[in-house]
Amino acid sequence: MRNAAHAPAYRQDMFSRSGIRDPYPHYARLRELGPVVWLSRQRVYALPRYAECRAVLRDDTTFASGHGVALNPLTNRLSRGTTLNSDGADHERRRRLLAHRLTPKALRSMSDTVDEKARAVVDAAVARRHVDGVRDLAMALPMAVVPDLVGWPEDGREHLLAWAGATFDSLGPLNHQWLRTFPAALSMLRFSRRVVRDRSVLAGSMGEDVLRAADAGTLPHAECSALMIDYLAPSLDTTVSAISSALHLFATHPEQWQTLREDPTLVPNALNEVVRLESPLRAFSRKAVADADVGGVRIPRGSRVLVVYASANRDEREWDDPDAFDITRDVNRHLGFGYGTHGCAGQGLARLESQAILRELAARVERIELAGQPTRAVNNIIHRHDQLPLELTPA
Amino acid sequence: MRVTVDHDRCEGHGLCTQAAPTVFSFDDEGDLAIAYADTDLPDDLVTAAREAVDVCPVAALRTG
Repeated sequence: MRNAAHAPAYRQDMFSRSGIRDPYPHYARLRELGPVVWLSRQRVYALPRYAECRAVLRDDTTFASGHGVALNPLTNRLSRGTTLNSDGADHERRRRLLAHRLTPKALRSMSDTVDEKARAVVDAAVARRHVDGVRDLAMALPMAVVPDLVGWPEDGREHLLAWAGATFDSLGPLNHQWLRTFPAALSMLRFSRRVVRDRSVLAGSMGEDVLRAADAGTLPHAECSALMIDYLAPSLDTTVSAISSALHLFATHPEQWQTLREDPTLVPNALNEVVRLESPLRAFSRKAVADADVGGVRIPRGSRVLVVYASANRDEREWDDPDAFDITRDVNRHLGFGYGTHGCAGQGLARLESQAILRELAARVERIELAGQPTRAVNNIIHRHDQLPLELTPA
Repeated sequence: MRVTVDHDRCEGHGLCTQAAPTVFSFDDEGDLAIAYADTDLPDDLVTAAREAVDVCPVAALRTG
């Protein structure tokens, strides 16, 4: 791949360790350079602005996912058979098989259980007063809900978060971080194959739906393990990211916390604002399967473009005062859950979990304060805290 | 202007019901219902309806 579109080039590495820890200056420079920017290190065209990201996500016939959405050919080959990595009828078939379990309609019956679990998590946290926002608040609910829903056997759960994080790392470029965690991504793949072979999924789960579909001949048996990972891996880290970012933002913007406490009906909008400002997923790629015009730049067929959700969501062309945290802003059009055909299938569940935690906290906690220096997890694609020491003052 | 929903794509995220509650709602089954489904929208609802089409996270709504 070379810069055949003659787009402005960016020679710094947004996937370096420092670029992972503090990505926003990279995004600002990319947006300044133009609507299409050649990343010299990764040899792809980055789309750092809102309008082009949205247009490319909408045009899923020209900008295909079926050749992979990762930034390296190895992961793109390994992720064949997933919903993430497919187009058209194949994508529709895979998405319909499982996504219906995750629609808000299907989740209505789960909402009481999730609220109850959220209450227990917040109870325990408030009683301790000093907590790690990541481990004690953000992880607790997704780990209590998602593995059961997907039907992952009890004995394979201790590695889940590390494996899921590694699966995201593997979607980045072939860098040091990729090498460091790739063995864990492979472990998840191997474990998932064993689960499918032994049929050790939980009864009534999404995993069982997958096996049944394979038995009925509507799904090749070889695709089962990939589909399990497809729905399990993205349901953990992402929600952990959103909840911990919310906690961090409210701890550093106490006036916004008071606004939320005074009007809890703002919770859904507040969560969208969190996902806009601190998008859990940085970027995925698409392959142009025809010559295309993106923001006035001619992208030749066969090029790979990088949709930088996290940058689009802070594009000053789209948002007033984009770096400000304002839970009352008109924010629903953000791209934090992607957009279009490949829009996050689990967003209903992510909303359910995150909103339940925020509602419980708003009802019970007067102040959220930082009680130490937060640290960032290092991951090519997932943007989240590793540790977030907090003090909760009960109302 | 008319607005239509592709029911195969709609997953019920409900952002349109927030953007234009007088146009979009869920029926008892949780399926999306559109007021003015077979007729042009009244002028005063066009802006809100466009916004709703815009925020659909799975691009299931169309105007025409």
